[in-house]
Amino acid sequence: MSSPMKLERNAFQPGAKTVEAAVSVAAAAPVRRKTVLRMLLSDVGSCVALSLVVLAILGAVFASWLAPTDPFGNDLANTLKPPGEGSLLGTDGQGRDMITRLLYGLRTTLMMGSASVVFGCTIGGIIGFAAAYYPRLSGLLMRFMDILLSFPAILFGLAIAAIFGPGLPAVIIALSIATVPLMARVVRGSALVVLQQGYIEAARSLGLSDLRIILRYVLPNCLSAIFVFVTLRFGQVILLGAALSFLGLGAQPPTAELGAMAADGRNFLFFAPHVSVLPSLVIFAVVLAFNVLGDSLRDALDPKLRK
Amino acid sequence: MFKLTTLLLAGAAAASFAAVPAVAQQKAPLTILRVIDADNYDPIRTTATAAAEVMYMLADTLVTVDFDMKTIKPGLADSWTISPDGLTYTFKIRKDVKFCDGRPMTIDDVVYSLKRWTDPTNKSPVSFRGGPVKDIRADGDSTLIYELKEPYSDLMFQLALSFASVVDKATVEKLGPNFGVQGFNGTGPYCWSKWTPRQELVLKKNPHYSWGPPIYKDPKPQIDEIVWKVIPESNTLMAAIQAKQADVTYYMPYIALDTMQRIPGMTVQRQENYIYDVFMGFKVDKPVVKDKAIREAANMAVDKEAIAKAIYFGKGRSLPSLLNPAVVDYDKDSAKVMPKHDPKAAAKLLEDAGWKMGADGIREKDGEKASFTVYGIRNSDNPRISEAMQADLRKVGIDMKIQLWDATVAWGKLATQEFDAFLMSYPYVTATEAMNLYFRSQQAPTPNRMNWKNPKTDELLKAASMATDADKRRQALAEVQTQLTEANVWVPLSSQPLWIVATDRVEGARAHGLYGAGLYKGLDLKLKR
Repeated sequence: MSSPMKLERNAFQPGAKTVEAAVSVAAAAPVRRKTVLRMLLSDVGSCVALSLVVLAILGAVFASWLAPTDPFGNDLANTLKPPGEGSLLGTDGQGRDMITRLLYGLRTTLMMGSASVVFGCTIGGIIGFAAAYYPRLSGLLMRFMDILLSFPAILFGLAIAAIFGPGLPAVIIALSIATVPLMARVVRGSALVVLQQGYIEAARSLGLSDLRIILRYVLPNCLSAIFVFVTLRFGQVILLGAALSFLGLGAQPPTAELGAMAADGRNFLFFAPHVSVLPSLVIFAVVLAFNVLGDSLRDALDPKLRK
Repeated sequence: MFKLTTLLLAGAAAASFAAVPAVAQQKAPLTILRVIDADNYDPIRTTATAAAEVMYMLADTLVTVDFDMKTIKPGLADSWTISPDGLTYTFKIRKDVKFCDGRPMTIDDVVYSLKRWTDPTNKSPVSFRGGPVKDIRADGDSTLIYELKEPYSDLMFQLALSFASVVDKATVEKLGPNFGVQGFNGTGPYCWSKWTPRQELVLKKNPHYSWGPPIYKDPKPQIDEIVWKVIPESNTLMAAIQAKQADVTYYMPYIALDTMQRIPGMTVQRQENYIYDVFMGFKVDKPVVKDKAIREAANMAVDKEAIAKAIYFGKGRSLPSLLNPAVVDYDKDSAKVMPKHDPKAAAKLLEDAGWKMGADGIREKDGEKASFTVYGIRNSDNPRISEAMQADLRKVGIDMKIQLWDATVAWGKLATQEFDAFLMSYPYVTATEAMNLYFRSQQAPTPNRMNWKNPKTDELLKAASMATDADKRRQALAEVQTQLTEANVWVPLSSQPLWIVATDRVEGARAHGLYGAGLYKGLDLKLKR
């Protein structure tokens, strides 16, 4: 129970025209966007990471404009050409230009990553908030999450691919399921802290609906934790997705996907290393960038770590 | 590039074998590398090539096949006669043959083994290969009578396959279901010593053996011990041969063959008559692909020559028609009716058949997209083959969806009706065998996955199978090959090349390749040191 004094004090904050508005002002412990961006840009590592992420996203979005050739057209007379011979980054086992395939591969990989993170985090978030807000549901929901946590993502991928057949949807479903329990735990943890705050008590006393309290007061105050989790998770999901595609469970030909491209080239590793090495390097760079960005975001959003 | 490759190879070889202590030993065993193991080594209980390739060393058959893949030569039988009605085969069996345990082989052993193979109660997946058996019996102590209910022209070749190997009854009965798992007793040039599944199978020389087939220079085995080692990863396998940690393989990635050829002392040799073909078959009763125009256009659109060259790095050959030109009863004339590679003509054919180009580059007719799904096994070649075909078909407006399955589930998936086409590679010895296996209507739904049910085909195949005259058989098979080529039931792709690679320690390595067995009986192989 927080003290009624706090509410009273909050209610008389300047600019608060109604009681609810006063609660809002109290709840909004806003991390100023400008501060975060400034903090991110002040660090060389996060600057590089941010530019890499932006570059990757731009490359993926504009793949069809940037790619020099048709991503699906083969040229069997010019297979496995090393970089520099005919094309800047060489050709793959079907004689396709590596630059084109990498751009399209990046697009597939990022799409797979974002879809999985969006689905997984939405469902995980709902479960997390529900578990935090309704203590009676908490035991049931969180034990179910624990069960999900005990399965590795690769195993989900294998099982789902066995049921529905390999393909991008199978990978997205598997990675979403694997993301749900992680997100639920992060959200429940942060939400529980927020729910202890006085303004929540105030909002409840005002008779606001549960949904309104969660969406208006709990969610915004959990956002920093969620942002950090999503950014870090995105890197992990890309890696897992690439691994599943490497095993042949993900994108099916002719779709270009970085993990599948790395797998395609592994039989010629000694003779045409670029076919495997280049997509692997792109995966490495993207995952690293997201991880560094996640770390920097955490530093920027955590007041305790702020200089 | 070459230097870099060599450096990489040497590094990988050093890395993969760093853990193996360098034991200086006089004539270390001959190590043969392969990529997969068999589930068991009982000749009648497995159809795996991985079992056959060892079986020819462990056991003998009544007759053998020469390196030309066309001539039947003596084996355990040194002579034979076939009755004019084609119903009775009489074999004279050698009397100097001994099993690995030293017991002389008798005519009863031969009768037992062949009955075990053909008896339907044993439920062998390969019993059909023995033909419509009426009776198998001994006549005296060295004559075997193989009597049929109706003529079966393929019998001699089938008797040369590992499935018809002679085994020791006592060992079979003693080991029961573990025969070919815990032990084996045959009359082959090499004897079962120890099997560690998925790792290695060790064979020791059969000291009694002197009855090798006349296709070899020396009828006796020359090597004391042979180790069949499994290395599933092709780069590691390549590095092992390069570093001379192993002696022979015919599973060398095709991309590495040129590099191997440049290494001094390395034997790199091709079997010109190897019969292991790759094709795509259509389910002729499925939407889209039931239209002959689609199937014919596919045969015209796919650049088989380019695919064979690219997939096998210049070592492959495309198939001119349904079957391999090296096989008995291959029909040259059927190649004339095989549509030639011509994407423009394919597009015109589709256009004329009413398949109009859609906005997405895929043709359609009566609201139906020119799209079909192909199933296959995810092996080392299928992903590249299917993707190349997919790109070729896309150029003429046909959308081919590829679904490749892991070998563990693939056979189950390939027995369903879910797909419209399938990719397959298979070894065979005669046209009669291949055609009867895939195209008889009673063979549907597997292995006749095309659901090809045609009375004329059935009639011709039966005639070929029952022919007592080689010319009549050839004629019937020629007619079937032409009929099926014209119907475009298959897109014949390429014959897998067989290349044997042996280090300078090995002498006499020669590629054979009967039913995928690259070294066949392993005779004439010698170790220099």
